[in-house]
Amino acid sequence: MSVKEAVLQVQDLSVERRGRLAVEGVSFALAAESDTALVGPNGAGKSTLVAALLGLLPHASGRVELLGQPLGANGFLPRSVRAQIAYVPQNLVIQGLIPVSVAEFVGFGFDLPGPRLPWRSGKQRMEAVFIALERTHTCDLRNRLLTELSGGQLKRVLLAFCLVRPRRLLVLDEAQAGLDVHSNEHFQQQLLELRRQEGWTVLQVSHDLEMVRRSSDQVLCLNRKLRGSGSPEATLSEERLGELYGLNMVSQHHQTHG
Amino acid sequence: MQRALLGGMLTGALGGVLGSFAVLRQLSFFSDALGHSSLLGITLGILLGVNPTLVLIPFAVIFALLVSQLVERSALPTDALLNIVYSSSLAIAILALSRVETYRGGIQQLLFGDILGISRLDVIVIAAFLAASVIYLGLSMRAQVLLTLNQDLAGAMGVRTRWHGLAFVILLAVVVAISIKAVGVLLISAFVVIPACAGRLLSRSFPVYVMISSGIGGGCALLGLLFSGLAKLPSGPSVVMVQFLGFLLAMLISNQIHSNASET
Repeated sequence: MSVKEAVLQVQDLSVERRGRLAVEGVSFALAAESDTALVGPNGAGKSTLVAALLGLLPHASGRVELLGQPLGANGFLPRSVRAQIAYVPQNLVIQGLIPVSVAEFVGFGFDLPGPRLPWRSGKQRMEAVFIALERTHTCDLRNRLLTELSGGQLKRVLLAFCLVRPRRLLVLDEAQAGLDVHSNEHFQQQLLELRRQEGWTVLQVSHDLEMVRRSSDQVLCLNRKLRGSGSPEATLSEERLGELYGLNMVSQHHQTHG
Repeated sequence: MQRALLGGMLTGALGGVLGSFAVLRQLSFFSDALGHSSLLGITLGILLGVNPTLVLIPFAVIFALLVSQLVERSALPTDALLNIVYSSSLAIAILALSRVETYRGGIQQLLFGDILGISRLDVIVIAAFLAASVIYLGLSMRAQVLLTLNQDLAGAMGVRTRWHGLAFVILLAVVVAISIKAVGVLLISAFVVIPACAGRLLSRSFPVYVMISSGIGGGCALLGLLFSGLAKLPSGPSVVMVQFLGFLLAMLISNQIHSNASET
């Protein structure tokens, strides 16, 4: 894959967390408009890797390039690049008290990083919010507080947050966490449609290997080091899963999914 | 008296503005610890023979930054750490103050506030910080809300989380320091916490929440000071009593709104 085509390029990346090397010597690239799944057992360093790629954690060594721009040691990226990246965290609402309506929240996704006068680009912003809510079928939720939403509704609102301005890269950290089977199916279907329409490049941390098999173009198997990468067929073989998760996990997986 | 009313109202509004963020970021106890520890700053000023107010602002900022670092790095629970810090500094301050002849009679004013002791310069400083807080928080509203919601989401969306976190702690420390004279060491956290909690009960939008909290803070301070002047009671506790009544009223209104909504 040439550098020009890659939305994200990672070279020999190592990341420390709580004094130990949580991610070691990882290299990979994400082609434009591809869907990549990052899989691995709990504690494998998946969320640490995602945090480092977004500039939330410092790198011990290595290099990360997002949309052709190197990620600074302190997580710095130019505003224009940052605005093209969206992130869906595992758990959004930490503060159960916060009075932020759905429309307000999606509007914050439209704004560029940095100071903003409250009245600037108000009309354009409102229109973008309305379109994003309509496309994610969340218009009826616009006046609800984030704290009043179910897990599935919150994930759809997060998609509206990503959709409210043009993005190139979408990073999702276990987006299916806390969702029931039906809500997860609905969310994944909506994500797939929007990815195709918008030309998003997606990097998704997931434990749902069936979903990964169905929808991903590329799989990265992580357990501190990158243990394998490639197509789902090649990387999610019984042998590879055995190496990655341990034999118990593989037999459990077969019992669950037949 | 007019100066006292104006100063008190501005202090109340300032507490409401910063409190609306502090409460959601679980910094209520931090502001309480900061207030109690401020007595140590005042004591330092007295012992050094310098105007205590001038010592208090840098003391509060340095103290807040040190405590933030301590909380960030320690494995101990935050509330336990804050308790150790504030009770120790309060004890040291009271022991030191009891040895200073000229301040024996002044401890009550320091503990419970003396709004009549507020100078013209104090009012100007409080007004300047209210304006600075409104401008800073208004311009960085997106950053502040995202930061309050989820630190990782904020960072991924380009918010300089560490910078804004530090800026807020410094602002909170300065506000606590400049409000001590009017409110007193023991009740300062009420100015930060009660109007914000009452405002939260009455709001369904973030900017509205900040404005209502600020309005409740300013309004309760004005009513409390008038009550304090008429009844010849200490200013700090009088304002906090009015704030408490305001909070009860907000609870009643909120419950009424919720029961009406569930009926329709």
